[in-house]
Amino acid sequence: MSVASITESTQYLTFKLDDEVFALDISQVREVLDFTTLTKVPRTPDFMRGVINLRGSVVPVVDMRLKFGMTKTEQTVNTCVIIAEITLDGEKLILGALADSVQEVIELDPDQIEPGPRIGTRLNTDFIKGMGKRDDEFIIILEVNRIFSSEELAAAHAAKDEVA
Amino acid sequence: MEIDLSEARQTFVTESIELLQEMEGALLRLEGSPGDQETINSLFRSAHTIKGSSGVLGIESVERFTHAVENLLCKVRENEIRIDKKIIEVLFECRDHIQVLVDCASSGAGLSQGLLSREAELVKRLGSCIGGRGDAPDKTTEKETSGAEAGEGRLAATNAWHISIRFNGDLFRNGMDPASFLNYLAGLGETISITPLFERMPAAPEMDPEECYLGLEVDFRSEFDKKTIEDVFEFAREGSVIHILPPHSRVEAYMDMIRSLPEDFLLLGEILIKGGALTQHELDEALDMQKGEDAGAEQHKRLLGEIMVNEGMIYPEVVDAALERQKLSQASRSKEARTMRIDANKLDSLINLVGELVISGANMGQHARRLKDGWLTESASIMSRLVEEIRDNAMRMRMVPIGETFSRFNRVIRDIGRDSGKDIELKISGGETELDKTVIEKINDPLMHLVRNAADHGIEMPEERASKGKAPKGTVRLNAYHDAGSIVIEVSDDGRGLSRERIFKKACALGLLSPAQTPSDSELFRLIFEPGFSTAEQVTKLSGRGVGMDVVKRNIEALRGAVDVESDGRSGTTVRIRLPLTLAIIDGFMVGVGGSSYVIPLDMVVECVEFSEAERRAANRRRYMNLRGEMLPYIRLRDFFGTQGQEARFENIVVVRCAGQKAGFVVDDLYGEVQTVIKPLGRVYRDVKGIAGATITGNGKVALILDAPALMEGAGGGATASNLN
Repeated sequence: MSVASITESTQYLTFKLDDEVFALDISQVREVLDFTTLTKVPRTPDFMRGVINLRGSVVPVVDMRLKFGMTKTEQTVNTCVIIAEITLDGEKLILGALADSVQEVIELDPDQIEPGPRIGTRLNTDFIKGMGKRDDEFIIILEVNRIFSSEELAAAHAAKDEVA
Repeated sequence: MEIDLSEARQTFVTESIELLQEMEGALLRLEGSPGDQETINSLFRSAHTIKGSSGVLGIESVERFTHAVENLLCKVRENEIRIDKKIIEVLFECRDHIQVLVDCASSGAGLSQGLLSREAELVKRLGSCIGGRGDAPDKTTEKETSGAEAGEGRLAATNAWHISIRFNGDLFRNGMDPASFLNYLAGLGETISITPLFERMPAAPEMDPEECYLGLEVDFRSEFDKKTIEDVFEFAREGSVIHILPPHSRVEAYMDMIRSLPEDFLLLGEILIKGGALTQHELDEALDMQKGEDAGAEQHKRLLGEIMVNEGMIYPEVVDAALERQKLSQASRSKEARTMRIDANKLDSLINLVGELVISGANMGQHARRLKDGWLTESASIMSRLVEEIRDNAMRMRMVPIGETFSRFNRVIRDIGRDSGKDIELKISGGETELDKTVIEKINDPLMHLVRNAADHGIEMPEERASKGKAPKGTVRLNAYHDAGSIVIEVSDDGRGLSRERIFKKACALGLLSPAQTPSDSELFRLIFEPGFSTAEQVTKLSGRGVGMDVVKRNIEALRGAVDVESDGRSGTTVRIRLPLTLAIIDGFMVGVGGSSYVIPLDMVVECVEFSEAERRAANRRRYMNLRGEMLPYIRLRDFFGTQGQEARFENIVVVRCAGQKAGFVVDDLYGEVQTVIKPLGRVYRDVKGIAGATITGNGKVALILDAPALMEGAGGGATASNLN
């Protein structure tokens, strides 16, 4: 059984959070940067790690590990910022996401992708677009628009108010 | 194939709004000088363009109504109808209705019943303007008021050139063709009528087929000057008789021309009437006049003189006036060509990039100095100077003169004057002062409030003014000027001024003051910006509801500006708005809190003092300190922002003033002044309190800009701050 929304073979960028391999549709990835200094915006939730200077634009960066219930991302030589373009309420938004390490770009056919499991992951299943199979490895394909949907950001604001 | 017209529609809406703006300006000018042909033409052109483009886009509602308006304007332009106050009034209302229609078209809303009946009413009134005066005889008494054509005698009403040619008999032998002249002429304007004359043609036996017997009477509308039109016939001039009469020539000039020609007087007269050069009335009257004068030799002499004048083109005023008019229209045409519409976003991104260039240039300069390479330092400094120049230029692209915004208020003042029976004049100065386009857009509403207030509350009724010994005509003045890096806009009137007692009473009633207090004028007057504060005894449709001034103040403060009012009981009120030149760059004061940098807008910073040990110890109990005998509430940014990490050994207080209040921000480090390019934080951080935006510092890091007014609200209620953590 394959995922209905995926009908063509698509390229994915894979990366690691902890020991798990995740993937993003390559069309949503703009570039990958080395970890640079983050400026924390006060009174925002912890997973909103701050903002960076991307050639003159101020881009927010989120910590996906915190978002997915793991520990905070520590900076290593492999730590990267994946700059992704997401759609929020019909508007394009540039966002950075922290990853422990970026792996490679792979191509997956629709029949290699299965719907995400209802149980068995630490993630909110809404965030999962599907599970890619490659060799004997599972790759969690993320639904990036869902992760940063307005409700999720609204939750961020609610959290901020608690801080206040 | 479906063509996407939505973009074209958008352009249509923008264009129409500009054209309607022009129409309004033209109508206002017409009120001052009703006969001005150029203004009528421009009015007609605007309406015509709106009609045309709405037709192309299939926006029927606009096209239909504008067509009706255009009909009237066309008659006015042809001098068939004299423009008067009533017509101008109808045209004003029509203009407003077109605007409503355009708005409907842009939002895709249908026309309501009310709109339709309004339209029907306007169309009826337009019709009555056309019908009621269509054949009125006063069209021949049309008199140009411009003065430039104030030759003696009556002026012909036509706005067309009249050209009369009797070609040289040798024309064909010289290898020329009369038709080519007419073709060329057609390129210069609009040919109304051509009447060929064959009177010179002899009977067939005597006729020489190589001889040219042709004569032409041409009526012709053109923007070009006499010289250009004359040049058309450059090659035929020799041996031909050519008369060129400019528009609105004296009727006598036509008479003289007729007399100097070999053909029958009445025939020519008829041709002139047919071509529209003269009306029957004009011709008859001129004939009568001539008959009345002494006949005979003397008359003949005078005539000859006139003809010479005519042929020698000694109507310098006429020529000058035509030239002047042509120059004007040429100037406006070339101005159009020299400006171009750019998407504001593109400009913003350019300015953004240039801002980055400035920062990276500064960065390079630092490295060059560290390397102690003389050449490199030199190059870097030249480059950064150039980049700064580019930045200034880029910023200037966003700047537009405020005059256009100002002149919109002509209409507002006119309408208020008409509705309230006051005689008010709007005087505008400093219209060429430039400021940022976004600021201009946002200043429009506050200005509208202020101008209405001035006209409605400020200016008294004419009788009241007369009894006070003032001129019955009230003046509202709009002025703008640059002052030390900011722009000042003044709205002033010579009306009754603010009443100290009434404001004081109202302030006491609202509990803003106690009756025992004796505030200074400026303190008292500032209270009119408080919400719910209106001392108008009578609520009119324009103002007096007590909303407005506080909105004005809020809007202006949102633009990082300030507003101030000045008044005395006799000579009126002046409201002074002070705005930053641009919203994109501010002078900032950089401070550090726990390793992060923050920028406070410099114009809010009053002073910096040390946060003493004693105050620090007291900070657990209270959130205010004693600043030279004054109570100063403060916020410890470290607490407010929940900053982690080691507390600094020494702390400082930055004293800021905003909206007349002072507060202190406790910070770790003071870094000093910086020029800051403001970057939006984006919608993710839209609701974060206390942060207005971000900027990028010289070392490429992001620093946050503090939203001082929002923070100070927190400082006022000190409890919120102390409850943190």
